[in-house]
Amino acid sequence: MITVALPKGRTLQPTLERLARAGLAPEEDFASTRKLIVPARGGGARFVLLKDPDVPLYVERGAADLGVCGLDQVLESGADLLVPLDLGFGACRLCLAAPHDSAVARGFRSGESGAEIGRSLRVATKYPRLTARAFARRGVPVDVVRLSGSVELAAVADLADAIVDLAETGRTLAENGLVVVEELLQVSARLVVNRASYRLKLEELLPVLDRIGGAT
Amino acid sequence: MDGLDARSNNAHEAPARTAPPQGTQDLLFEAARRLRRCEAALARVFEEHGFAEVIPPSIEAAEVFAETGGGGADALRAVDRHGHLLALRADFTAQVARIAATRLSGLSPLRLYYRGSVVRESAADSGVPRERLQAGCELVGESEPAADAEMLALAAASLAALGLPAGAARIAVGTVGYFSALIAAADASPRLARALTDAIDRKDLPGLTLLCTREVAPGKARDALLMLAQPPRPQAEASALLARAQELAPSAAASAALHRLASTLQVAQARSLGAEVEVDLGEVRGLGYYTGLVFNLYASGAPRAVGGGGRYDTLLGRFGDPRPAVGFSLDLDVLVPLARPA
Repeated sequence: MITVALPKGRTLQPTLERLARAGLAPEEDFASTRKLIVPARGGGARFVLLKDPDVPLYVERGAADLGVCGLDQVLESGADLLVPLDLGFGACRLCLAAPHDSAVARGFRSGESGAEIGRSLRVATKYPRLTARAFARRGVPVDVVRLSGSVELAAVADLADAIVDLAETGRTLAENGLVVVEELLQVSARLVVNRASYRLKLEELLPVLDRIGGAT
Repeated sequence: MDGLDARSNNAHEAPARTAPPQGTQDLLFEAARRLRRCEAALARVFEEHGFAEVIPPSIEAAEVFAETGGGGADALRAVDRHGHLLALRADFTAQVARIAATRLSGLSPLRLYYRGSVVRESAADSGVPRERLQAGCELVGESEPAADAEMLALAAASLAALGLPAGAARIAVGTVGYFSALIAAADASPRLARALTDAIDRKDLPGLTLLCTREVAPGKARDALLMLAQPPRPQAEASALLARAQELAPSAAASAALHRLASTLQVAQARSLGAEVEVDLGEVRGLGYYTGLVFNLYASGAPRAVGGGGRYDTLLGRFGDPRPAVGFSLDLDVLVPLARPA
């Protein structure tokens, strides 16, 4: 029996389609059932539906053997996982963005650190770990403000000098007068696998991984 | 009131003095009894196989752990009143190597075992405790494949002694030697080598492919590196995997590492381990001092490896007595809840 963690939200549909092509489909529609754990059609597997950031944790701790979530969540969680497949969909970019007329936008573009504002940069984000790491790599001190939503607003409403957030097309950013200062990470949906499951359930998992990998 | 104050629950604040530090625990009564029973079962197996116990101190000069987990950076360190930098034991193997290279210098072979706790700073939310309970063995002064196989067999016997159900344990076996030879043949910088290690360790085939295409010159070394993110193979299929790797071996060193692994597996098979062996040339994870065989132990019910080991032929040299050695340790905090010792 293998347990598969599915991500709620935008990537659920493409995930279900990809798994279905690999012969893995929930017996019931998650939209209409109140069950938290849904068996797979034909047995041998079951599904749990989770918020995106929880997928790496379920898989790391072995409550699920494999799961699907964005590379952003894999890295932000710091979870110790195997990431054998790039599923391709859910493509977007993790970006540092700031108001187009701000010191940050000017400073980063001209190769400076934004230090001319005379204090640490204040950066709002749902990705504190990735943000801190990106700035640490550049040697720029940063004050990370952790938010759980409406991150663009933080830069517009002067909570922060800049934001780090996902951008698909960049339109939301542009509509709020923000420009991408730097692209930090190319994101797409990844298949993640628990380290111990990969060894202990090798015979069950390998055909599944092969089929998912081949079912583009 | 206290419980409602968010700050008192904040992991970054100093812990309340009424709780043990984060990542540590008190073992009471039945839990203590279970741990002691498991330790006793392991000590019995180790001694039956001719290993003798050593008890190193719980603190050491910090440099003893220099090659442990990221340059010893994970050790919990403090400066004593004489200005010496000390560390809580972060790794038994380094301590046993120090003992073998100094007080036991010249005595070969040595079969030593230990039990106790190691303290390493781990990510707060990783589920890996800071203080880990371990038991393990080191075989010093033997360089033959038979010694590697002896330790694989002993690791398997240890899991059996803990009463893990038959078929519940697996050993993933690889060799650092092959990977190092590929890195050398590809002339990779230390930064690139780290990135490759990370991608291979995570089985990140897309990431590895990108790295190789961008930064490694086309050729045998690159093809061989790309093969390392492939899934492991059961021992029965290992010869095909090793033959393929052999075809791609870019240097004599790479080829020798594979021959070595093949003969270790052969000896191990003859001894019938009692745990299933998977061969995985991408098994590159481990402490920085491994030079040849590396292996990790997995058990049904545990979400991460329950132990691991390998060959470290250069570690004793750091303490002035260059001798080959091979060993392994078991993580008892993961194993004890699964164990049913006799």
